[in-house]
Amino acid sequence: MNLQTVGIEALGGTYVFDVRVSNRTLKLNRFFWNMIASAWREAYLANTEQAMDSAGLSDFEKDLVRRQDWLGLVQHGANFFVVEKFARVARLSNMEVYAIMRGQSYEDFLKTRRVPGLR
Amino acid sequence: MVWRPQSPSIVIQPCRESSDMARIIGAIGTSHVPTIGLAYDRKKHDDPAWAPLFKGYEPIAQWLREKEVDALVFFYNDHCTSFFFDLYPTFALGVGDSFAIADEGAGPRPLPAIRGDVALQSHILESLVNDEFDITVFQDKAIDHGCASPLPLLWSHEPDWPGVVVPIAINVLQYPLPTGRRCYRLGQAVKRAVESYPVDLKVVVVGTGGLSHQIHGERTGFNNTEWDMEFLELLEHDPVALTKLRHADYVRLGGAESVEQIMWLAMRGAVDGTLKKLHQNYYLATTTAMTAVLYEVAQDAGPVDEGVAP
Repeated sequence: MNLQTVGIEALGGTYVFDVRVSNRTLKLNRFFWNMIASAWREAYLANTEQAMDSAGLSDFEKDLVRRQDWLGLVQHGANFFVVEKFARVARLSNMEVYAIMRGQSYEDFLKTRRVPGLR
Repeated sequence: MVWRPQSPSIVIQPCRESSDMARIIGAIGTSHVPTIGLAYDRKKHDDPAWAPLFKGYEPIAQWLREKEVDALVFFYNDHCTSFFFDLYPTFALGVGDSFAIADEGAGPRPLPAIRGDVALQSHILESLVNDEFDITVFQDKAIDHGCASPLPLLWSHEPDWPGVVVPIAINVLQYPLPTGRRCYRLGQAVKRAVESYPVDLKVVVVGTGGLSHQIHGERTGFNNTEWDMEFLELLEHDPVALTKLRHADYVRLGGAESVEQIMWLAMRGAVDGTLKKLHQNYYLATTTAMTAVLYEVAQDAGPVDEGVAP
């Protein structure tokens, strides 16, 4: 138990990314991390299934990727800082992914922001 | 005249006030939101949505110019760009004459490579390790928006950067993170390191990240301006109080990713003593409370912590 993180999960809608989670999801996070390399992006776009196979993703993880289930990925233990690299490949902005994770439409999410025109 | 613990690798200097020693003259706290870099590259300085952000950096850039600052020590974090979780350092210091600015998937940025100073970086590294901060060293790695997003707002890069950067990466992604107290003590050790460097350099320390924001899970979009203001107040006047907070406290008060504000504690430790706040800008536009603060060292605390004799 890490005394520094006790209480975080109780906040709700917040997932502690610790080394236990990281160890369980290393292949998935590496799969997303590799998206910063254009060769990997092209390989993924050319053949998604083959790219996921070669990365060693589990069936459950493959399903999350196929469905682009952004909240499900984070809940499973994907780290947002690599998930956002996948969002670029999926041609979504971070703001669009934020809205999805909150369970809101993009328009409704923007209404909650002070300067929605900031792009 | 104060004798201070010295790294065995350098010539002993008798006096810390001596003008031929490096000294830390100020500190900066700044957000490192990636879209700041994107807006900068797209020249959105006068865009009504972005102008309050860019204008907020102008007094800091002007101060750095007027003071002719030679080096910026950057406490930043790598966002799984150059480091991955298979080998993710808690603390890591970059050594190199230059560092590429990372392509994070959107293509290379139109900025020159970040300049470094191997002699200065190596001295700080030796001093930290001899001070029992067994920091990792990295070389020939690109630096991502953790440092590169605010850098061009602080320093003009035309025709080239006016000084060098000492990059110090801190793990704020994969728990266990270093505690706030440990980051503060890292800053104190960096102060000892810089001030034992026998070259007349003006150094400013920069803490990056924050302020309140959360960008994962259903709690995404959380902000807390009241806490942000309290954090800034405590950082200036009672930083030790902030070192007593747990990571869970930062997450609760400022949102999950605001825990990166422990990097501001590293900055604060490096300017232990009384500060004079010269400028503050706070702009909460969408999801991150984008903040830029400049402090000048008003009264140096002196050798507050003697560290570990080599």
